[in-house]
Amino acid sequence: MSIFSNFSREAKFLFKQKHLWAFYAVVVCLSAFAVYSGISEANHQQATIERLLEKEAIDRENVIAKQKDYGSAAYYTFHLTYSEPSAMAFAAMGQRDIYPWKHRIRMLALEGQIYETDADNPELSFLGRFDFAFLVSILLPLFVILLLHDLRASERSAGRYDLLVVTAKNQHSLWLSRAVILSLSLAAALLIPFVVGAIVSQAPFADVVLMVLVVLAHLLFWMVISLVFVTSKKAIKQSSAQIASVLLSVWLLVTVLVPVVSDLVINKMVTGPSGGEIMLTQREAVNDAWDLPAEDTWTEFLKTHPQWQGKTTMDSPFFEWKWYYAFQQVGDQKASALATAYRDAIIKKDQLAGQFALLSPPMLTQRILSAIATTDTQAALVYQQQIRQFHKSLREFYYPLMFNKAEFSLETLKAQPQYSTYERAHKKHMENN
Amino acid sequence: MQKEVLIADSLSVSFNHQTVLDEVSFSVAKGEVFALLGGNGAGKSTTLKTFLGTVSPHSGIAKVMGLNVTSEIDKIRAKVAYLPESVTLYGHLTGVENIQYFLALAQVNCTDADIEQALKRVALQQNAWHKKMSFYSKGMRQKTAIALALLRNAPVLFLDEPTSGLDPNAIDEFNQLIANLATEGTTVFMVTHDVYGACHIAHRIGLLDQGKIVGMFERGGQTNIDTEAVHAAFSARNRP
Ligand SMILES: Nc1ncnc2c1ncn2[C@@H]1O[C@H](COP(=O)(O)OP(=O)(O)OP(=O)(O)O)[C@@H](O)[C@H]1O
Ligand SMILES: [Mg+2]
Repeated sequence: MSIFSNFSREAKFLFKQKHLWAFYAVVVCLSAFAVYSGISEANHQQATIERLLEKEAIDRENVIAKQKDYGSAAYYTFHLTYSEPSAMAFAAMGQRDIYPWKHRIRMLALEGQIYETDADNPELSFLGRFDFAFLVSILLPLFVILLLHDLRASERSAGRYDLLVVTAKNQHSLWLSRAVILSLSLAAALLIPFVVGAIVSQAPFADVVLMVLVVLAHLLFWMVISLVFVTSKKAIKQSSAQIASVLLSVWLLVTVLVPVVSDLVINKMVTGPSGGEIMLTQREAVNDAWDLPAEDTWTEFLKTHPQWQGKTTMDSPFFEWKWYYAFQQVGDQKASALATAYRDAIIKKDQLAGQFALLSPPMLTQRILSAIATTDTQAALVYQQQIRQFHKSLREFYYPLMFNKAEFSLETLKAQPQYSTYERAHKKHMENN
Repeated sequence: MQKEVLIADSLSVSFNHQTVLDEVSFSVAKGEVFALLGGNGAGKSTTLKTFLGTVSPHSGIAKVMGLNVTSEIDKIRAKVAYLPESVTLYGHLTGVENIQYFLALAQVNCTDADIEQALKRVALQQNAWHKKMSFYSKGMRQKTAIALALLRNAPVLFLDEPTSGLDPNAIDEFNQLIANLATEGTTVFMVTHDVYGACHIAHRIGLLDQGKIVGMFERGGQTNIDTEAVHAAFSARNRP
């Protein structure tokens, strides 16, 4: 007889048990809740961005109307930078809970503005928000253990084991088909709300398929671990409680111990400056500049901007905007080594975390899900670079106007750079067509 | 004597260094009803389970239809039906569903009519057939399991205390059933401590005491085994 008839026999058998239905109903509810809260968080973030953008457009008009020179225009104009949640972010909020996803910035020294909201160095936190990724990486193993630990032991304690074993044509295919049916039903209970959520969020098909595969792979891992142990020779004399405690120890080991220890080890191995340190260095440089001879600032500034050589003479000995922005620039230059070290440390930590994750399937699952949802550390760093890039374009816009003493015009000002992301530009483009 | 279906040859079994079966030897022929009689803890169930491969012999040989229990157990299991000592089937299924499930597990094809017929043969009251097994009495469970064993259509039956929990009428019907099966060529190995029952239906009785065969009683032609003699031997062994 075929494998299929084994499965259909066991499915019919298992689903006559009411408590199983109740269990799967609970899992569906948990998954639906995780997906729902993920979607509302993503919507909330998106709405926050939209709201701030709208508010900014209004503020911008008011502010610009009052300006008489480019220096103060640059000073008073805020620009919202943001990293929008991807269509898959609802399933795995990942590092978006740790790294900021929006900054309002001005043309002042940048590094301090980036790390303002980040004064405490983000640690590689593991247990996070109750989202779909949490459900699938942390709780899924527990569900599998709950379903499979007494696969055989329950038959022994009920006194049916001998009859089952003597009757079954193939004992192993009996346990296997029961385990497969239980696991597949678990997968369905977890994935149906997820797929509905993905459709609601209009997530890309390929990403959805990829996430489903990751979930199934993680499930398969725990099914195999449980099944191998549950049907092992060693476990034959053990009660279901003993078997459950062994499996739970494995879960604790890879879900709690490995991440905690790897976190400790990683932080020992890789040390970098904190966000606060970078902010302080930059702020001190800027504050000190007020009391330093202007020459000192110009020397430092010209090192990176030689094109303004010969345009640094100041009309007033006390204040001029181009000098003000020059020492802001120098503040960033002074903090730049630290910022690079910070970034390098984060990359190194992330790489090491990736290697440690190979020891912990739950950790690995969570990382892969975050990567698919572009909510990983990588994505956070890309966003930081986008901010720097945008800030650079602001400077490139304003410096010529200030150093060349251009005539102030509101028309020119309206052409100042606007922060946008590729996704947003693309969406706009599609809407316009 | 006809071809031997069951053979135990110097069979020894021990649990945790404690000898439970000690060099047990006997054989059962095709179509024979063999009863293993003995007090509690004598090793009866252990002997039976050795033939089913759920207990491994420490030394000696056990064979079923020429197949060795240590190396060919899967083939053996396809040829035997087993009635366990204490019957527990699935409480969340009805009697009929339980039978269907176990038959599917054994990959035996059976029609609903076959199942109904078997349930009638063991005299399980009809209004219980489609009730959840968790509502069954001990005797009803026993009858269901006997029906299941019959439906396996196996050449060898292993019955561990088959009449425990049955009312006198049911015992009579059961005995008749076993006698019929034996005439059709089914080999029956049963374990019991019911001296009278054993004498009534068995062709041969082996008396087991502390893991050793201490007596063998055989039916003489059409006359049943002498209950008095067996009882005397049994009591002598099991007196405190
Ligand atoms: N799995 C086991 N592990 C350890 N000891 C066992 C095991 N099964 C049986 N025994 C021991 O073997 C001895 C024989 O047990 P067995 O079940 O064969 O007795 P029995 O003759 O069937 O008794 P009863 O009439 O009470 O059913 C007993 O002392 C019992 O404690
Ligand atoms: Mg017994």
